[in-house]
Amino acid sequence: MEREIFGYKCQKCGTLHYPFRMVCKNCRANGYFEFDTVPLPHAGKLLTFTFIHNLPAEFEVARLGLGIVELENGLRVTGQIQIDDPKLGMDVVGAIEVVKRDAYDNRYGFVFRAA
Amino acid sequence: MAVDLEKILRPVDHPYPPYPAKYMTLASGETLVIRQATRDEVPTLLKHVAPLVFVERDYYDLVAARVYAELLGWYHYRMQDEYVLVAQIDGELAAIVNGRSVTGKQGMSLHTLAMRRGLRIGAHAFAAKMEYHIDILGQDEVLVVAESPIGFRRWMIEYQLEERFDTPHELGGVPSYALTKELFDRARSKLVVGRRPVPEDLLAKAHEAILPPSDPPTPPADLLAATRAKYDLTGTALILQRWAQDRSADDA
Amino acid sequence: MREVYIIGIGITTFTRLEYPLSEIAAYASMGALKDAGLTDVDYLVVANMGSARINSQSALASAVADTLSLTPAGAVRVENGPASGASAIKEGFMAVASGMHDTVLVAGAERMREVNSLEATDFVATLTHPMAEYIYGVTLPGHAAMFTRLYMEKYGVTERHLAMVGVKNQNNAMLNKDAHLHQPISLEGILDSPEAMTNNPWVAEPIRFFDCCPVSDGGAALILASKEVAEASGRPMIRISGIGQATDTLAVHEREEPTDLMAVRRAAEQAYAMAGIKPKDIDVAELHDAFTILEIVESEEVGFFEKGKGHIALEKGETEIGGKMPINPSGGLKGKGHPVGATGVAQVHEIVMQLRGDAGERQVKGAKNGLACNFGGFGNNVIVSTYTREG
Repeated sequence: MEREIFGYKCQKCGTLHYPFRMVCKNCRANGYFEFDTVPLPHAGKLLTFTFIHNLPAEFEVARLGLGIVELENGLRVTGQIQIDDPKLGMDVVGAIEVVKRDAYDNRYGFVFRAA
Repeated sequence: MAVDLEKILRPVDHPYPPYPAKYMTLASGETLVIRQATRDEVPTLLKHVAPLVFVERDYYDLVAARVYAELLGWYHYRMQDEYVLVAQIDGELAAIVNGRSVTGKQGMSLHTLAMRRGLRIGAHAFAAKMEYHIDILGQDEVLVVAESPIGFRRWMIEYQLEERFDTPHELGGVPSYALTKELFDRARSKLVVGRRPVPEDLLAKAHEAILPPSDPPTPPADLLAATRAKYDLTGTALILQRWAQDRSADDA
Repeated sequence: MREVYIIGIGITTFTRLEYPLSEIAAYASMGALKDAGLTDVDYLVVANMGSARINSQSALASAVADTLSLTPAGAVRVENGPASGASAIKEGFMAVASGMHDTVLVAGAERMREVNSLEATDFVATLTHPMAEYIYGVTLPGHAAMFTRLYMEKYGVTERHLAMVGVKNQNNAMLNKDAHLHQPISLEGILDSPEAMTNNPWVAEPIRFFDCCPVSDGGAALILASKEVAEASGRPMIRISGIGQATDTLAVHEREEPTDLMAVRRAAEQAYAMAGIKPKDIDVAELHDAFTILEIVESEEVGFFEKGKGHIALEKGETEIGGKMPINPSGGLKGKGHPVGATGVAQVHEIVMQLRGDAGERQVKGAKNGLACNFGGFGNNVIVSTYTREG
């Protein structure tokens, strides 16, 4: 199965959100099922990044790359990065992969690599 | 007869080269000297280790008790090829690390006991120990285990140690991890620091006397309160408090 | 609205404490009650972030009220992330200002060292967005690091500036007997010596070990009172002159301008408006320097310095105790420590000490107006409050 991360598009004003919210940030439309789910694009630019060396208990690695990426449609997401020498503004492309193993569950999310 | 028995009991140490002393600047701006301790200094070290046996937190009790035993073992010639490095600030004892050589090619790390915290002195001393095994003794790898979660996290994950689970470690017979020369070379730039030779006055000060630690870890302030905590990290369930209770029962 | 005064303060040493959380809150509270000359209060507000998760104790306020034998006074626990402390003060303020109560005990307490640092890191990280941030391994240092990188790029802040904040605050903490870190650090030791990068390793690039506050246990408490009670107490009249609070998006990536901390700016504007004062009227401030970058940015967002110029003021020594705008004379979170739920209360504890002129070696001379900024989440829930000495 092809996995995707979804954005949420307001049916009334078309504003796209990520992550999920229940009331539109732009027009405050208030009702059930006001949003269409839209798969997020995978390509974007790296806005900022870090390598974390002191990780929460579940992450048994020496360091973990994280970044904020501005996707092609202008929406921003946080994700893991696997890039040796990242540069601000570089082109990246994300894959949907396991980002965390939580007991018996796999959590999927964006892992960005150099485009 | 007695002399002959002593010959059997006393192991023969191999002639390994000594650890060349080094010094470094700490985060506080103070200077740390790391040097090899002599057998004659063991009684002084024991005096400073002994109080830590009763510090029932962060495994200080267990580590201090084992270090005490290892120091005694060395002092009484009951441990083969052991060495002890001390880290000192102006003579003051800041950390003790020790280990031994299993073979000419394989070392075994025993303990790292830091008496001052918050300045990465333990990490510097541990790195010096690894430097001794790999660079000075020319060994291929050092077997390592940890008693405390803090130690495990730091050594196993920071250095990315390899599993040597078929080799039980002398500390409790648990499966060993190994720091290989290759892993050490990779960590070297980040973790191994220090300058040589140590200026004469610094070295003289360090050799002059091993002064007591100025701010050593202390037992929990309130033993009774600590038992009420749900998680007893040390798992020792407050041995001291039980002794105190037993004593008062005996008195009654 | 009635005027509200702080007539009593108390604090525990910030360090690793080996007694139960409710007693940490209670010790600080006993100090505050004694300071105010009271044996009783109408209402308790207890600030704490993690009791249910890290100390397996929920409904903490009931335990604190009972430990202090203050029953049957009403008691409530406030959990609002790292801004719990100031949120509790705001709750207490509203209780007195509304006329509902005359005396309120506000206590903050946290016992984070009951778990190891990995669990503590994970616990704090639970305040991030569960699906869009937390699952990726985002930590608070991680957020601060990504923010710092942008700030460096845009405004020319360097690692040296960050280290200067750390050295300043950790050295201020040497003057504070209740501070967690009594260990001076030097720029040479953490930045310039050949061993500096090993002494001061990465936590989350470009943030290093000495850019982060320690994980602490501790408690702090205040007694809030109406004007009549305050006057009768004979204690110095320290008035809560302004409180502002603002929220921002939970996910940090959703913010329009990633180098702004809008919630700090908005909360400060509200507080100044309520107090009828300007940033230049503030004599001493306690800012939320969980990471060194935050002291620099908050000093701009609360209006002390122009945006992007905070690090220049720092370079000039303006934020030192003897400087033009002294920041974190207590040592801040960096030096004094950061028991999360207690922090917001402890900041005001320091401001009251300063306004009373009781701060000893770290006293800012003649301080009349003080400001505290308690920063929750990564800037998603911020309270700024101001305090004025009367008479």
